[in-house]
Amino acid sequence: MNHSGATGVPHATGLRRAHWLALGGVLLLLALVGSALLYLSPVLALLDSRGPVAGKPGAAVAATPPPLDSKQRINILLLGSDNDQKFPQDALLSQTMIVVSIDPAKHEVTLLSLPRDLWVEIPGHKSAKIDLAYAQGGAPLARATVEKAFKIPIHYYAWIGLNGLVRVVDRVGGVDVDVLHPVLDDNYPNDFSSTGYGTERVYLSAGPQHLDGRHTLQYVRSRHGDLLSDLGRSIRQQQVLLAIQQRTAGMDLVTALPAFARDLNGHLKTDLDLVRLTQLALFMRGLHAGDVHQAFLTPYVHDAVSSDGQQVLLADWAAIHRYLRQLFGADLLS
Amino acid sequence: MMRRTAFILLVSALTLAACTSSGTAPRDPGKVVLPVKQVSVPGRLYATKGRTLFRFSGTHLARLLVGTRLKDPAVTRDGAQLAFAQLHDESSTIAVSDASGRTPQSITAASGPEGALWAFAPRYSDDGRQIVYLTDRGKPRSSPQNLQPNDLAVWTYDVGRATSRRVVAPIRYTGGDSDPGFRPGVSDQLLYTTYLYGGTPPQAVARLTWTSTRTGVSVYLSPDVARNFQPAFSPDGRFVAFIRAGSGSDDLYVMPLPPTFTRESRPYPADGAVLLQSGIVSQPVWAPDGTAVAFLKLVNGSFDLFILPIATDGVIRATGAAQAVTHGSFLDADSRLAWSP
Repeated sequence: MNHSGATGVPHATGLRRAHWLALGGVLLLLALVGSALLYLSPVLALLDSRGPVAGKPGAAVAATPPPLDSKQRINILLLGSDNDQKFPQDALLSQTMIVVSIDPAKHEVTLLSLPRDLWVEIPGHKSAKIDLAYAQGGAPLARATVEKAFKIPIHYYAWIGLNGLVRVVDRVGGVDVDVLHPVLDDNYPNDFSSTGYGTERVYLSAGPQHLDGRHTLQYVRSRHGDLLSDLGRSIRQQQVLLAIQQRTAGMDLVTALPAFARDLNGHLKTDLDLVRLTQLALFMRGLHAGDVHQAFLTPYVHDAVSSDGQQVLLADWAAIHRYLRQLFGADLLS
Repeated sequence: MMRRTAFILLVSALTLAACTSSGTAPRDPGKVVLPVKQVSVPGRLYATKGRTLFRFSGTHLARLLVGTRLKDPAVTRDGAQLAFAQLHDESSTIAVSDASGRTPQSITAASGPEGALWAFAPRYSDDGRQIVYLTDRGKPRSSPQNLQPNDLAVWTYDVGRATSRRVVAPIRYTGGDSDPGFRPGVSDQLLYTTYLYGGTPPQAVARLTWTSTRTGVSVYLSPDVARNFQPAFSPDGRFVAFIRAGSGSDDLYVMPLPPTFTRESRPYPADGAVLLQSGIVSQPVWAPDGTAVAFLKLVNGSFDLFILPIATDGVIRATGAAQAVTHGSFLDADSRLAWSP
């Protein structure tokens, strides 16, 4: 009895099956990777477009930041600019500067608003309002200026333009905000007009309400009709940040992230990579209202006129550094 | 390198997939949605959604003044006349109509020598002869080069004479006053919200303000360095429902008000108010018979209409749980409610 055939055929079949299985596995893996790439391509495109303005004088050399999943504090400098066509796109002022400080060990976040009119030393440049740092040297210089003045190590930055905020808010279906007082502005800049110039009339009643992107932008930008001026605006900006965080807390991030990326393409710059962005999103999702603290420097600054005649804010730096030590403990630069 | 990128992508995708919630953010359905178990609304209760006026009556829902963008409906005590803020591109006017929304007619101008004008938040007096409202009429002319205050002030309109007059000057650069209303039973007392700044460092403050239009004297009913707003008189004028902003919430309170206009007293009447509903609540309005308060409440990202049964005999209290009149409807929470028999 010749068993060779009987033993040889199943062996060959088994080998073929194994090959097919291996090939199938490779194809499945490729399909998975391909799908993931396709799915996340808007995110990758967004992150590819990041990048600080390099090579400008005074730019900081970023130290290796701690990973977001460690127990070390992470500080992200959030920058916002009016970036419609009225302004030179390579020299935008940062009208909004908020340090988002994440303390993973305590599962807390502190939002610290920096007044845009604060008079500071800008490394490699003359002293000026802090909002000029971004215009003169992009994110690296803004980061270096904050680190030098406040001794806060900045690990990452994220810059967002006007339309970016509008799109994010609309993407999450609007935000729920308790408007702190009636907002009336007969001369609100109409950034979305064809010329970028011109004004429009704005009215938002006070009290809890749902705001779409356009009205959210009006709420955070309008300064006329607010005696607190830039402080009032900082308070409203933090309020909206919290409202966006609350709104996204219940969202399906798998569905949302590529859509966010598409919306933000051209309106967001950041040095957070995909993994860190994901970690950050997951951390933020787990936050409750009591985990987020708001901080302002108002008690430690006063109005003044600079040597070149500008209305500025001067700081009591000793008091500010004492306050920051209370907020950040030993996590400040020496 | 490619392998590492693919690995990171896969890990990211899987991490995301593993850690996502079950749903997406709630979305405006673009219509008023009634819950499966409908609540029968006594009388006629008015609210707006997407700047369109809706009337809830029993289990019936009607859309009024179709094609007119409006907010802040008000109704006379007998329910025969409506008033509302009609919205234009960059101005608004107070308009009145019959209860069905027919024959609307503007009673204020959309512009004046000072430029385009706002007008909001009308409320009828008990006898229907006056309307109190907000406007920036009388403001100085403003331009980007010469910014001037344009805060909203409290004005009254005499229905018989068709004339308006300012009764309260706002505090400049605060946005002005809000939520005016006449005290039922008398024609010379107003209640509204005054916006200002207080504390160190300064912060936004909202105070309940009681004004005698006869003497021009105003007193605060709530303390400084707090936010109490959107006052609404009970039909008999004895109680005031209002919203108090706490830490992360806007709660519904009710307090009694002295029968006659008195000088500012301590403690403030608002200090002794009774909490009736917690959450993010806005725009309280009393039922015509005083046995319930309707309000908008934020639930799952949507402002919906609720009715809370209450009693004011003896101790102010809720006599049951708030019932949802709408569900996931995204009603306009910046627009007042109105309720008539």
